[in-house]
Amino acid sequence: MADEAKKKEILEKLKNSVIQYDEDTCKEAANEAVEAGMDGNEAIFDGLVAGMEEVGRLFEAQEYFVPEILMCADALYAGLDILKPHCRQMDLGVKGAVVIGTVEGDVHDIGKNLVKMMFDVSGFTIYDLGRDVPLDKFVEEQLKTDSELVCLSAMMTTSMVGMPKVIEKIKAKNPDCMIMIGGAPTSKELADKWGADGYAEDASNALKEAIKMVSFLKKLRDEKASKQK
Amino acid sequence: MDAAPLKEHLKQEGATLVGVGDVTIALAHDIIHLNRGIALAVNRGLGRETIEMLMKLQKAAEAWLKEQGFRTLLIPPDSDRIKGKYITKLYKFVSHKTVATCSGLGWIGKNGLIINKQYGSKLSWATVLTDAPLEADSPVTESQCGDCDLCVKHCPSGAVTGNIWSRGEPLKSIVNYEKCRSLKKERRLFEEKPNCGLCVTICPYSRQVRSGK
Repeated sequence: MADEAKKKEILEKLKNSVIQYDEDTCKEAANEAVEAGMDGNEAIFDGLVAGMEEVGRLFEAQEYFVPEILMCADALYAGLDILKPHCRQMDLGVKGAVVIGTVEGDVHDIGKNLVKMMFDVSGFTIYDLGRDVPLDKFVEEQLKTDSELVCLSAMMTTSMVGMPKVIEKIKAKNPDCMIMIGGAPTSKELADKWGADGYAEDASNALKEAIKMVSFLKKLRDEKASKQK
Repeated sequence: MDAAPLKEHLKQEGATLVGVGDVTIALAHDIIHLNRGIALAVNRGLGRETIEMLMKLQKAAEAWLKEQGFRTLLIPPDSDRIKGKYITKLYKFVSHKTVATCSGLGWIGKNGLIINKQYGSKLSWATVLTDAPLEADSPVTESQCGDCDLCVKHCPSGAVTGNIWSRGEPLKSIVNYEKCRSLKKERRLFEEKPNCGLCVTICPYSRQVRSGK
């Protein structure tokens, strides 16, 4: 078992390398974590995700802009690739699979990819359909994979109008499926009107929403851990 | 902020040329805060080694700048080939040629490549964007090709139009890349390296240097 001081140092290093968008250091720290026999989930949540939370805060404070966020995401993934094989199966009561994509007519996928990342760290199974995805493909894929979540992204008003059709079709076939929509032209009102369960305005807000979700999972995990003690 | 120590440092690491340019006019909204472009050039044959050298130089520049609390965005030399990362989405917003002209290291020749007075077009480039308020070199804004039209005459695919680059006319077509590419495709059938490179070697500025190997 890794001793506490060393563990803390590694977590701090993981966190800072994400904030500093330093891929090399992040890989180094992830390897150290593996060598020290640390729990992969702990390294991801208290290291990488903690770093991404701070990045979200820096973005909100207008300290960081889009390029920094993207580079931070790359650093996070560099660490995640190393840590993932060392994760125990997460037992959070949320078994998750998500279908995600940018709707037909739209090729903007930065926001979608950031959201995907946060699902990735949370251990969801992701079916990424990519961008410019035909509307029926979402419905098919949801049915095929029986995913609990479907995330639709659009950057343009012209492509956004395809969303309610997808929502309607999926809900008709599978009323329990949760649907999140996101992208610049969408709004809370539209999400409500179309019967979507969640909404995020743009890439950064999507990141924030996704962080919130992951933070919530983290809290669940901590509560569970403390109950076991 | 004096850029000389950074330039000196990078030259010692192996850069042939280092320039700092104010690239504000060329930046997309999302990266406007990183308005200093450091142009790095190496005069070696285009190959794996050169690319690795340029990446090493970028990392050296990044380390130097980050140590002083500044931000960086590295645009790798072969940015069009790198896929699968988040940041690659932004690579296409920055051109090495633009940063090189802004840094005063050369102009865009009739052959569509950066021409440096000393090294011609025999240079490979990489870019580091930063928010450090480095003192910028004065930009090159006009072509200095003059009447020379060797590359126009000798281009086997007739892709070089002969149009003259000027910073003020960014939309002017200089090289017909479709024609250039079609020749490449043809050559690929019977040659391993389909790039003809005549427009590099024919340039009088290039001919005055021997590739530094």
